Amino acid sequence: MMRTFRGGLLIGLAVAVLVAVLAIIYEFYDTRTLKRTVRRGEVLCGVNKGLPGFSYSEDNKNWTGFDVDFCRAVAAAIFNDPGKAKFIPLDASERFKELQSRKVDILSRNSTWSMARELDYDLYFPAVAYYDGAGFMLPRSRNKETSLELDGSKVCVQAGTTTALNVADYFKANNMKYDEVKFNNLADVVKAYDTGKCDTFSADVSQLYALRLNLTKPGDHMILPDMISKEPLAPVVRQRDDDWMMIVKWTLYAMINAEELGVTSENIDEALKSKKPEVMRLVGTEGNYGEQLGLTKDWAVRIIRHVGNYGEMYERNIGEKSKLKIPRGMNQLWNAGGVQYAPPMR
Amino acid sequence: MTDFRRLTGMFMAAVGLILSTPLASAQQPDRGDEPGLIADDAYQLDPEWQKQVVYFRTTEPPGTIIVSTAERHLYLVQPGGRAIRYGIGVGRDGFQWQGLVTITNKKEWPDWTPPPEMIQRQPYLPRFMAGGPGNPLGARAMYLGTTVYRIHGTNRPDTIGTKVSSGCFRLVNNDVADLYDRVPVGTKVVIRQKPEL
Repeated sequence: MMRTFRGGLLIGLAVAVLVAVLAIIYEFYDTRTLKRTVRRGEVLCGVNKGLPGFSYSEDNKNWTGFDVDFCRAVAAAIFNDPGKAKFIPLDASERFKELQSRKVDILSRNSTWSMARELDYDLYFPAVAYYDGAGFMLPRSRNKETSLELDGSKVCVQAGTTTALNVADYFKANNMKYDEVKFNNLADVVKAYDTGKCDTFSADVSQLYALRLNLTKPGDHMILPDMISKEPLAPVVRQRDDDWMMIVKWTLYAMINAEELGVTSENIDEALKSKKPEVMRLVGTEGNYGEQLGLTKDWAVRIIRHVGNYGEMYERNIGEKSKLKIPRGMNQLWNAGGVQYAPPMR
Repeated sequence: MTDFRRLTGMFMAAVGLILSTPLASAQQPDRGDEPGLIADDAYQLDPEWQKQVVYFRTTEPPGTIIVSTAERHLYLVQPGGRAIRYGIGVGRDGFQWQGLVTITNKKEWPDWTPPPEMIQRQPYLPRFMAGGPGNPLGARAMYLGTTVYRIHGTNRPDTIGTKVSSGCFRLVNNDVADLYDRVPVGTKVVIRQKPEL
Protein backbone atom coordinates (compact mmCIF):
# COMPACT_ATOMS: atom_id res chain seq x y z
CA MET A 1 0.00 0.00 0.00
CA MET A 2 2.72 2.40 1.08
CA ARG A 3 4.81 1.35 -1.85
CA THR A 4 2.16 2.11 -4.38
CA PHE A 5 1.65 5.55 -2.87
CA ARG A 6 5.36 6.34 -3.02
CA GLY A 7 5.59 5.00 -6.55
CA GLY A 8 2.66 7.14 -7.58
CA LEU A 9 4.25 10.18 -6.00
CA LEU A 10 7.51 9.55 -7.81
CA ILE A 11 5.80 9.13 -11.15
CA GLY A 12 3.81 12.27 -10.50
CA LEU A 13 6.95 14.21 -9.65
CA ALA A 14 8.74 12.92 -12.69
CA VAL A 15 5.88 14.00 -14.92
CA ALA A 16 5.79 17.43 -13.31
CA VAL A 17 9.53 17.93 -13.79
CA LEU A 18 9.35 16.72 -17.36
CA VAL A 19 6.51 19.12 -18.16
CA ALA A 20 8.40 22.00 -16.58
CA VAL A 21 11.57 21.20 -18.51
CA LEU A 22 9.66 20.86 -21.76
CA ALA A 23 7.93 24.18 -21.09
CA ILE A 24 11.26 25.88 -20.50
CA ILE A 25 12.75 24.36 -23.65
CA TYR A 26 9.64 25.34 -25.59
CA GLU A 27 9.86 28.92 -24.36
CA PHE A 28 13.55 29.04 -25.19
CA TYR A 29 13.24 27.64 -28.66
CA ASP A 30 9.89 29.15 -29.48
CA THR A 31 10.42 30.24 -33.02
CA ARG A 32 7.57 32.68 -33.23
CA THR A 33 9.16 36.07 -33.72
CA LEU A 34 6.02 38.04 -32.95
CA LYS A 35 5.81 36.53 -29.47
CA ARG A 36 9.49 37.12 -28.79
CA THR A 37 9.28 40.68 -30.10
CA VAL A 38 6.29 41.51 -27.93
CA ARG A 39 7.97 40.02 -24.87
CA ARG A 40 11.16 41.94 -25.57
CA GLY A 41 9.24 45.16 -26.18
CA GLU A 42 11.13 46.13 -29.34
CA VAL A 43 11.73 45.10 -32.93
CA LEU A 44 15.33 44.33 -33.85
CA CYS A 45 15.99 45.70 -37.33
CA GLY A 46 19.04 44.71 -39.35
CA VAL A 47 20.02 47.72 -41.46
CA ASN A 48 22.79 48.93 -43.74
CA LYS A 49 25.74 50.55 -41.97
CA GLY A 50 25.50 53.66 -44.09
CA LEU A 51 23.57 54.28 -47.30
CA PRO A 52 22.24 57.87 -47.45
CA GLY A 53 18.50 57.97 -48.04
CA PHE A 54 17.99 54.33 -47.13
CA SER A 55 19.74 53.79 -43.85
CA TYR A 56 22.05 56.31 -42.30
CA SER A 57 23.24 57.38 -38.87
CA GLU A 58 26.02 59.65 -37.71
CA ASP A 59 26.05 58.47 -34.13
CA ASN A 60 24.56 54.96 -34.31
CA LYS A 61 21.52 56.27 -32.42
CA ASN A 62 19.51 58.55 -34.66
CA TRP A 63 18.80 56.62 -37.83
CA THR A 64 17.13 58.00 -40.94
CA GLY A 65 16.16 56.51 -44.26
CA PHE A 66 13.64 54.55 -46.27
CA ASP A 67 14.67 51.12 -44.93
CA VAL A 68 14.84 52.53 -41.40
CA ASP A 69 11.36 54.03 -41.68
CA PHE A 70 9.93 50.75 -42.90
CA CYS A 71 11.18 49.00 -39.79
CA ARG A 72 9.70 51.82 -37.69
CA ALA A 73 6.39 51.16 -39.42
CA VAL A 74 6.50 47.53 -38.28
CA ALA A 75 7.25 48.69 -34.73
CA ALA A 76 4.41 51.21 -34.91
CA ALA A 77 1.97 48.51 -36.04
CA ILE A 78 2.85 46.33 -33.03
CA PHE A 79 3.61 48.83 -30.25
CA ASN A 80 1.97 52.06 -31.50
CA ASP A 81 5.43 53.55 -31.06
CA PRO A 82 7.97 53.85 -33.89
CA GLY A 83 10.66 54.36 -31.25
CA LYS A 84 10.36 50.67 -30.37
CA ALA A 85 12.55 49.81 -33.36
CA LYS A 86 16.18 49.09 -32.55
CA PHE A 87 18.67 49.32 -35.38
CA ILE A 88 21.54 46.90 -35.75
CA PRO A 89 23.93 47.68 -38.59
CA LEU A 90 24.91 44.59 -40.56
CA ASP A 91 27.50 43.92 -43.26
CA ALA A 92 26.37 42.71 -46.64
CA SER A 93 28.29 39.46 -46.27
CA GLU A 94 26.85 38.55 -42.86
CA ARG A 95 23.31 39.85 -43.09
CA PHE A 96 21.50 36.63 -44.01
CA LYS A 97 23.34 34.54 -41.45
CA GLU A 98 22.65 37.11 -38.75
CA LEU A 99 18.96 36.96 -39.56
CA GLN A 100 19.05 33.17 -39.59
CA SER A 101 20.72 33.08 -36.15
CA ARG A 102 18.00 35.42 -34.77
CA LYS A 103 20.28 38.34 -34.08
CA VAL A 104 17.59 40.45 -35.76
CA ASP A 105 13.83 40.04 -36.29
CA ILE A 106 13.81 41.55 -39.74
CA LEU A 107 16.30 42.63 -42.37
CA SER A 108 15.35 46.00 -43.79
CA ARG A 109 18.52 46.50 -45.69
CA ASN A 110 18.45 47.06 -49.47
CA SER A 111 18.60 43.35 -50.21
CA THR A 112 17.70 42.06 -53.65
CA TRP A 113 15.04 39.39 -53.63
CA SER A 114 16.18 36.38 -55.62
CA MET A 115 15.21 32.74 -55.81
CA ALA A 116 18.64 31.52 -54.76
CA ARG A 117 18.63 33.65 -51.64
CA GLU A 118 15.26 32.36 -50.46
CA LEU A 119 16.34 28.78 -51.05
CA ASP A 120 19.97 28.94 -49.85
CA TYR A 121 19.30 30.71 -46.59
CA ASP A 122 15.83 29.41 -45.75
CA LEU A 123 14.50 32.96 -45.81
CA TYR A 124 11.44 34.73 -47.13
CA PHE A 125 11.12 38.12 -48.86
CA PRO A 126 7.52 39.15 -48.10
CA ALA A 127 7.04 42.03 -50.58
CA VAL A 128 9.03 44.46 -52.72
CA ALA A 129 9.65 47.76 -50.94
CA TYR A 130 11.67 49.38 -53.72
CA TYR A 131 12.16 48.39 -57.35
CA ASP A 132 15.79 49.04 -58.19
CA GLY A 133 18.01 48.07 -61.11
CA ALA A 134 21.48 48.63 -62.45
CA GLY A 135 21.86 51.85 -64.41
CA PHE A 136 24.38 54.44 -65.54
CA MET A 137 25.61 57.79 -64.26
CA LEU A 138 27.46 60.11 -66.59
CA PRO A 139 28.42 63.77 -66.92
CA ARG A 140 25.53 65.91 -68.19
CA SER A 141 27.91 67.43 -70.74
CA ARG A 142 28.01 64.11 -72.61
CA ASN A 143 24.43 64.75 -73.64
CA LYS A 144 23.14 61.17 -73.81
CA GLU A 145 19.45 60.31 -73.81
CA THR A 146 19.56 56.56 -73.19
CA SER A 147 22.05 53.87 -72.29
CA LEU A 148 21.84 52.60 -75.88
CA GLU A 149 24.09 55.53 -76.83
CA LEU A 150 26.97 54.31 -74.65
CA ASP A 151 28.76 52.27 -77.35
CA GLY A 152 32.55 52.46 -76.96
CA SER A 153 32.42 53.85 -73.40
CA LYS A 154 34.84 53.25 -70.60
CA VAL A 155 32.60 51.89 -67.82
CA CYS A 156 33.59 52.07 -64.14
CA VAL A 157 32.24 49.19 -62.02
CA GLN A 158 32.98 47.57 -58.71
CA ALA A 159 34.64 44.17 -59.20
CA GLY A 160 32.81 41.08 -57.99
CA THR A 161 29.32 42.63 -58.09
CA THR A 162 26.35 41.52 -60.12
CA THR A 163 26.53 44.93 -61.80
CA ALA A 164 29.71 43.92 -63.62
CA LEU A 165 27.88 40.87 -65.00
CA ASN A 166 24.80 42.88 -65.90
CA VAL A 167 26.87 45.43 -67.81
CA ALA A 168 28.58 42.64 -69.74
CA ASP A 169 25.22 41.08 -70.66
CA TYR A 170 23.68 44.41 -71.60
CA PHE A 171 26.45 45.53 -73.94
CA LYS A 172 26.62 42.13 -75.56
CA ALA A 173 22.87 41.92 -76.06
CA ASN A 174 22.86 45.33 -77.75
CA ASN A 175 25.92 44.74 -79.93
CA MET A 176 27.93 47.46 -78.22
CA LYS A 177 31.54 47.52 -77.10
CA TYR A 178 32.92 48.90 -73.83
CA ASP A 179 36.05 48.93 -71.71
CA GLU A 180 35.64 47.81 -68.15
CA VAL A 181 37.46 49.84 -65.48
CA LYS A 182 37.32 47.72 -62.32
CA PHE A 183 38.17 48.36 -58.68
CA ASN A 184 37.60 46.20 -55.64
CA ASN A 185 36.67 49.06 -53.37
CA LEU A 186 33.59 51.17 -54.07
CA ALA A 187 35.35 54.37 -52.95
CA ASP A 188 38.01 53.79 -55.60
CA VAL A 189 35.36 53.41 -58.28
CA VAL A 190 33.78 56.71 -57.26
CA LYS A 191 37.16 58.42 -57.28
CA ALA A 192 38.06 57.06 -60.69
CA TYR A 193 34.77 58.29 -62.11
CA ASP A 194 35.04 61.67 -60.41
CA THR A 195 38.51 62.24 -61.83
CA GLY A 196 37.37 61.37 -65.33
CA LYS A 197 39.04 57.99 -65.67
CA CYS A 198 35.85 56.57 -67.20
CA ASP A 199 32.95 57.87 -69.27
CA THR A 200 30.22 56.33 -67.18
CA PHE A 201 29.70 54.62 -63.84
CA SER A 202 27.40 51.64 -63.44
CA ALA A 203 25.78 50.48 -60.19
CA ASP A 204 22.25 50.11 -58.84
CA VAL A 205 20.35 53.29 -59.61
CA SER A 206 19.48 54.03 -55.96
CA GLN A 207 23.16 53.72 -55.12
CA LEU A 208 24.16 56.02 -57.99
CA TYR A 209 21.86 58.76 -56.64
CA ALA A 210 23.42 58.38 -53.19
CA LEU A 211 27.00 58.30 -54.50
CA ARG A 212 26.39 61.34 -56.68
CA LEU A 213 26.13 63.42 -53.48
CA ASN A 214 29.82 62.73 -52.78
CA LEU A 215 31.14 63.86 -56.17
CA THR A 216 32.99 67.17 -56.47
CA LYS A 217 30.17 68.69 -58.56
CA PRO A 218 27.01 66.58 -58.09
CA GLY A 219 24.95 68.88 -60.31
CA ASP A 220 27.15 68.16 -63.32
CA HIS A 221 26.16 64.49 -63.39
CA MET A 222 22.96 62.71 -64.37
CA ILE A 223 21.60 59.22 -63.98
CA LEU A 224 19.92 57.77 -67.06
CA PRO A 225 16.34 56.56 -66.57
CA ASP A 226 16.99 53.10 -68.05
CA MET A 227 17.53 50.11 -65.81
CA ILE A 228 19.40 47.13 -67.24
CA SER A 229 18.63 44.58 -64.52
CA LYS A 230 15.97 43.71 -61.97
CA GLU A 231 16.91 44.40 -58.36
CA PRO A 232 13.74 44.21 -56.30
CA LEU A 233 14.73 45.36 -52.81
CA ALA A 234 12.67 43.75 -50.09
CA PRO A 235 12.63 43.20 -46.34
CA VAL A 236 13.60 39.68 -45.28
CA VAL A 237 12.29 37.36 -42.55
CA ARG A 238 12.88 33.73 -41.60
CA GLN A 239 10.82 30.94 -43.17
CA ARG A 240 8.21 29.01 -41.17
CA ASP A 241 7.34 32.06 -39.12
CA ASP A 242 4.07 32.91 -40.82
CA ASP A 243 2.56 35.25 -38.23
CA TRP A 244 5.60 37.48 -38.41
CA MET A 245 5.88 37.29 -42.18
CA MET A 246 2.22 38.35 -42.50
CA ILE A 247 2.81 41.40 -40.29
CA VAL A 248 5.83 42.54 -42.30
CA LYS A 249 4.09 41.93 -45.62
CA TRP A 250 0.86 43.71 -44.73
CA THR A 251 2.65 46.62 -43.09
CA LEU A 252 4.15 47.43 -46.48
CA TYR A 253 0.88 46.75 -48.32
CA ALA A 254 -1.06 48.92 -45.86
CA MET A 255 1.32 51.79 -46.65
CA ILE A 256 0.94 51.33 -50.41
CA ASN A 257 -2.84 50.98 -50.17
CA ALA A 258 -2.97 54.09 -47.98
CA GLU A 259 -1.23 56.10 -50.67
CA GLU A 260 -3.59 54.76 -53.32
CA LEU A 261 -6.60 55.72 -51.18
CA GLY A 262 -5.19 59.16 -50.38
CA VAL A 263 -4.76 58.46 -46.65
CA THR A 264 -1.76 60.33 -45.22
CA SER A 265 -0.27 61.07 -41.82
CA GLU A 266 -1.90 64.48 -42.10
CA ASN A 267 -5.47 63.41 -42.83
CA ILE A 268 -5.54 60.17 -40.83
CA ASP A 269 -8.07 61.55 -38.33
CA GLU A 270 -10.34 62.55 -41.18
CA ALA A 271 -9.87 59.06 -42.65
CA LEU A 272 -11.17 57.53 -39.42
CA LYS A 273 -14.51 59.23 -40.13
CA SER A 274 -14.60 58.15 -43.78
CA LYS A 275 -17.61 56.23 -45.07
CA LYS A 276 -15.75 54.75 -48.05
CA PRO A 277 -15.60 50.96 -47.53
CA GLU A 278 -11.97 50.64 -48.71
CA VAL A 279 -10.82 53.38 -46.36
CA MET A 280 -12.90 51.93 -43.52
CA ARG A 281 -11.27 48.52 -43.91
CA LEU A 282 -7.82 50.14 -43.94
CA VAL A 283 -8.34 52.18 -40.80
CA GLY A 284 -10.21 49.38 -39.04
CA THR A 285 -13.61 51.04 -38.66
CA GLU A 286 -14.87 48.01 -40.58
CA GLY A 287 -13.61 44.43 -40.33
CA ASN A 288 -11.06 43.04 -37.91
CA TYR A 289 -8.02 42.38 -40.07
CA GLY A 290 -5.70 43.81 -37.43
CA GLU A 291 -6.88 41.31 -34.85
CA GLN A 292 -6.50 38.46 -37.31
CA LEU A 293 -2.87 39.55 -37.73
CA GLY A 294 -2.42 39.28 -33.98
CA LEU A 295 -2.44 43.07 -33.62
CA THR A 296 -5.17 45.64 -32.95
CA LYS A 297 -7.94 46.95 -35.19
CA ASP A 298 -6.13 50.24 -35.68
CA TRP A 299 -2.79 48.69 -36.68
CA ALA A 300 -2.70 50.51 -40.03
CA VAL A 301 -3.70 53.81 -38.42
CA ARG A 302 -0.69 53.47 -36.14
CA ILE A 303 1.62 52.95 -39.13
CA ILE A 304 0.23 55.87 -41.09
CA ARG A 305 0.06 58.25 -38.14
CA HIS A 306 3.66 57.65 -37.09
CA VAL A 307 5.45 56.91 -40.34
CA GLY A 308 3.06 57.91 -43.13
CA ASN A 309 1.96 56.15 -46.31
CA TYR A 310 4.35 54.72 -48.91
CA GLY A 311 4.59 57.97 -50.88
CA GLU A 312 5.33 60.01 -47.76
CA MET A 313 8.06 57.58 -46.74
CA TYR A 314 9.50 57.74 -50.26
CA GLU A 315 9.42 61.53 -50.64
CA ARG A 316 10.82 62.22 -47.18
CA ASN A 317 13.86 59.99 -47.63
CA ILE A 318 14.70 59.64 -51.30
CA GLY A 319 12.16 61.65 -53.34
CA GLU A 320 12.44 64.91 -55.23
CA LYS A 321 12.36 67.03 -52.09
CA SER A 322 15.06 65.01 -50.36
CA LYS A 323 18.79 65.29 -50.95
CA LEU A 324 18.84 62.24 -53.21
CA LYS A 325 16.08 63.39 -55.61
CA ILE A 326 15.26 59.98 -57.05
CA PRO A 327 12.22 60.23 -59.37
CA ARG A 328 9.42 57.82 -58.38
CA GLY A 329 9.87 55.95 -61.68
CA MET A 330 8.98 52.28 -61.32
CA ASN A 331 8.08 52.86 -57.67
CA GLN A 332 5.15 55.01 -58.69
CA LEU A 333 1.76 53.38 -57.97
CA TRP A 334 0.44 51.00 -60.60
CA ASN A 335 -2.37 53.42 -61.55
CA ALA A 336 0.10 56.22 -62.22
CA GLY A 337 2.54 54.40 -64.49
CA GLY A 338 4.63 52.49 -61.94
CA VAL A 339 4.57 48.92 -60.68
CA GLN A 340 3.91 49.38 -56.93
CA TYR A 341 0.76 47.36 -56.50
CA ALA A 342 -0.65 46.12 -53.21
CA PRO A 343 -3.30 43.41 -53.06
CA PRO A 344 -6.63 44.76 -51.80
CA MET A 345 -7.46 44.66 -48.11
CA ARG A 346 -10.75 42.83 -48.13
CA MET B 1 -6.10 95.57 -84.22
CA THR B 2 -4.10 94.44 -81.24
CA ASP B 3 -4.06 97.97 -79.87
CA PHE B 4 -7.77 98.21 -80.27
CA ARG B 5 -8.29 94.89 -78.52
CA ARG B 6 -5.97 95.93 -75.77
CA LEU B 7 -7.80 99.20 -75.31
CA THR B 8 -11.15 97.47 -75.26
CA GLY B 9 -9.78 95.02 -72.78
CA MET B 10 -8.52 97.73 -70.51
CA PHE B 11 -11.75 99.67 -70.80
CA MET B 12 -13.82 96.64 -69.97
CA ALA B 13 -11.51 95.86 -67.14
CA ALA B 14 -11.72 99.36 -65.77
CA VAL B 15 -15.52 99.26 -65.91
CA GLY B 16 -15.43 95.83 -64.33
CA LEU B 17 -13.20 97.00 -61.54
CA ILE B 18 -15.26 100.10 -60.80
CA LEU B 19 -18.46 98.13 -60.76
CA SER B 20 -16.99 95.35 -58.72
CA THR B 21 -15.22 97.32 -56.00
CA PRO B 22 -18.09 97.60 -53.52
CA LEU B 23 -19.18 94.03 -54.15
CA ALA B 24 -15.70 92.57 -54.13
CA SER B 25 -14.86 94.07 -50.79
CA ALA B 26 -17.83 92.24 -49.34
CA GLN B 27 -16.61 88.99 -50.91
CA GLN B 28 -13.64 86.95 -49.91
CA PRO B 29 -10.48 88.26 -51.56
CA ASP B 30 -10.26 86.50 -54.90
CA ARG B 31 -6.72 85.92 -56.00
CA GLY B 32 -7.77 83.97 -59.03
CA ASP B 33 -9.49 86.21 -61.51
CA GLU B 34 -8.44 89.78 -61.73
CA PRO B 35 -9.59 91.33 -64.96
CA GLY B 36 -7.42 94.14 -66.18
CA LEU B 37 -4.29 93.25 -64.29
CA ILE B 38 -1.36 93.10 -66.70
CA ALA B 39 0.75 89.99 -66.31
CA ASP B 40 4.30 90.48 -65.17
CA ASP B 41 5.91 87.93 -67.46
CA ALA B 42 9.31 88.44 -65.84
CA TYR B 43 7.87 87.01 -62.60
CA GLN B 44 10.22 84.34 -61.24
CA LEU B 45 8.49 81.08 -60.42
CA ASP B 46 9.80 78.82 -57.66
CA PRO B 47 12.01 76.08 -59.13
CA GLU B 48 9.26 73.54 -58.54
CA TRP B 49 6.85 75.39 -60.84
CA GLN B 50 9.34 76.18 -63.58
CA LYS B 51 9.11 74.37 -66.89
CA GLN B 52 11.54 71.46 -66.94
CA VAL B 53 12.17 68.03 -68.45
CA VAL B 54 11.73 65.30 -65.85
CA TYR B 55 11.84 61.51 -65.80
CA PHE B 56 8.24 60.38 -65.93
CA ARG B 57 7.06 56.81 -66.13
CA THR B 58 3.63 56.34 -67.60
CA THR B 59 1.59 53.99 -69.72
CA GLU B 60 0.24 56.94 -71.75
CA PRO B 61 1.84 57.46 -75.17
CA PRO B 62 4.14 60.45 -75.92
CA GLY B 63 2.13 63.56 -76.76
CA THR B 64 -0.45 62.96 -74.03
CA ILE B 65 -1.05 65.67 -71.43
CA ILE B 66 -1.36 64.48 -67.83
CA VAL B 67 -2.61 66.97 -65.26
CA SER B 68 -1.90 66.11 -61.65
CA THR B 69 -4.16 68.32 -59.59
CA ALA B 70 -2.73 67.35 -56.21
CA GLU B 71 0.86 68.01 -57.35
CA ARG B 72 -0.06 71.19 -59.36
CA HIS B 73 1.92 69.89 -62.29
CA LEU B 74 1.04 69.42 -65.94
CA TYR B 75 3.07 66.81 -67.82
CA LEU B 76 3.46 66.59 -71.57
CA VAL B 77 4.64 63.00 -72.12
CA GLN B 78 7.82 62.66 -74.21
CA PRO B 79 9.55 59.57 -75.59
CA GLY B 80 12.28 57.84 -73.57
CA GLY B 81 10.59 57.90 -70.14
CA ARG B 82 10.55 61.67 -69.95
CA ALA B 83 8.00 64.46 -69.79
CA ILE B 84 8.02 68.24 -69.95
CA ARG B 85 6.64 69.41 -66.63
CA TYR B 86 4.94 72.77 -66.10
CA GLY B 87 3.75 74.33 -62.86
CA ILE B 88 0.03 75.08 -62.84
CA GLY B 89 -2.70 76.67 -60.77
CA VAL B 90 -5.75 74.46 -60.23
CA GLY B 91 -9.34 74.67 -59.05
CA ARG B 92 -10.03 75.54 -55.46
CA ASP B 93 -11.53 72.87 -53.21
CA GLY B 94 -14.88 71.82 -54.58
CA PHE B 95 -13.88 72.99 -58.05
CA GLN B 96 -11.58 70.10 -58.88
CA TRP B 97 -12.47 67.39 -61.31
CA GLN B 98 -10.92 64.42 -63.05
CA GLY B 99 -11.38 62.51 -66.25
CA LEU B 100 -10.26 61.93 -69.79
CA VAL B 101 -10.88 64.65 -72.39
CA THR B 102 -9.30 65.90 -75.61
CA ILE B 103 -8.29 69.35 -76.73
CA THR B 104 -11.15 70.50 -78.95
CA ASN B 105 -10.07 74.03 -79.80
CA LYS B 106 -7.09 76.37 -79.48
CA LYS B 107 -7.15 80.16 -79.26
CA GLU B 108 -4.47 82.84 -79.06
CA TRP B 109 -5.20 85.77 -76.71
CA PRO B 110 -8.68 84.38 -76.10
CA ASP B 111 -11.71 86.49 -75.26
CA TRP B 112 -13.25 85.71 -71.92
CA THR B 113 -16.95 85.11 -71.41
CA PRO B 114 -17.30 83.92 -67.83
CA PRO B 115 -19.93 81.13 -67.82
CA PRO B 116 -23.26 81.92 -66.05
CA GLU B 117 -22.45 79.76 -63.00
CA MET B 118 -19.26 81.74 -62.50
CA ILE B 119 -21.14 85.07 -62.79
CA GLN B 120 -23.58 83.80 -60.20
CA ARG B 121 -20.77 83.08 -57.77
CA GLN B 122 -18.73 86.17 -58.58
CA PRO B 123 -21.22 88.78 -59.80
CA TYR B 124 -18.55 91.46 -60.05
CA LEU B 125 -16.93 89.70 -63.03
CA PRO B 126 -17.35 91.26 -66.46
CA ARG B 127 -19.87 89.60 -68.79
CA PHE B 128 -17.35 89.69 -71.60
CA MET B 129 -13.74 90.66 -71.88
CA ALA B 130 -11.77 90.87 -75.11
CA GLY B 131 -8.46 88.99 -75.33
CA GLY B 132 -5.29 90.80 -74.35
CA PRO B 133 -2.67 91.17 -71.65
CA GLY B 134 -5.20 92.22 -69.00
CA ASN B 135 -7.39 89.18 -69.62
CA PRO B 136 -7.27 86.50 -66.89
CA LEU B 137 -7.09 83.79 -69.58
CA GLY B 138 -3.70 85.13 -70.62
CA ALA B 139 -1.90 84.46 -73.87
CA ARG B 140 -3.39 81.13 -74.98
CA ALA B 141 -6.30 78.83 -74.26
CA MET B 142 -6.85 75.17 -75.06
CA TYR B 143 -10.44 73.98 -74.75
CA LEU B 144 -11.00 70.75 -72.85
CA GLY B 145 -13.66 68.55 -74.47
CA THR B 146 -17.12 70.05 -74.25
CA THR B 147 -16.52 71.35 -70.72
CA VAL B 148 -16.34 75.00 -69.71
CA TYR B 149 -12.78 74.31 -68.56
CA ARG B 150 -9.60 75.37 -70.34
CA ILE B 151 -5.87 75.10 -70.05
CA HIS B 152 -4.97 78.76 -70.27
CA GLY B 153 -2.45 81.47 -69.46
CA THR B 154 -2.82 83.97 -66.66
CA ASN B 155 -2.28 87.53 -65.62
CA ARG B 156 -1.47 86.34 -62.11
CA PRO B 157 1.80 84.33 -62.26
CA ASP B 158 1.87 84.32 -58.47
CA THR B 159 -1.13 81.95 -58.44
CA ILE B 160 0.89 79.12 -60.05
CA GLY B 161 1.21 76.29 -57.55
CA THR B 162 -2.00 77.25 -55.75
CA LYS B 163 -5.64 76.20 -55.93
CA VAL B 164 -7.65 79.28 -56.79
CA SER B 165 -9.40 78.74 -60.10
CA SER B 166 -12.94 77.67 -60.89
CA GLY B 167 -11.70 74.40 -62.35
CA CYS B 168 -9.41 75.61 -65.14
CA PHE B 169 -5.70 74.90 -65.29
CA ARG B 170 -3.54 78.00 -65.61
CA LEU B 171 0.10 78.31 -66.67
CA VAL B 172 2.25 81.43 -66.92
CA ASN B 173 2.00 83.02 -70.35
CA ASN B 174 5.42 81.87 -71.57
CA ASP B 175 4.64 78.28 -70.58
CA VAL B 176 1.16 78.21 -72.03
CA ALA B 177 2.51 79.55 -75.33
CA ASP B 178 5.21 76.86 -75.28
CA LEU B 179 2.66 74.11 -74.60
CA TYR B 180 0.27 75.57 -77.21
CA ASP B 181 2.88 75.13 -79.94
CA ARG B 182 3.55 71.52 -78.96
CA VAL B 183 0.03 70.09 -78.85
CA PRO B 184 -2.49 69.83 -81.69
CA VAL B 185 -6.28 69.77 -81.42
CA GLY B 186 -7.22 66.18 -80.56
CA THR B 187 -4.51 65.76 -77.93
CA LYS B 188 -5.53 63.40 -75.14
CA VAL B 189 -5.69 65.05 -71.70
CA VAL B 190 -5.80 62.93 -68.54
CA ILE B 191 -6.80 64.83 -65.40
CA ARG B 192 -5.79 63.06 -62.22
CA GLN B 193 -6.93 64.01 -58.78
CA LYS B 194 -6.09 62.79 -55.34
CA PRO B 195 -8.63 60.19 -54.20
CA GLU B 196 -11.25 61.42 -51.76
CA LEU B 197 -11.52 59.92 -48.31
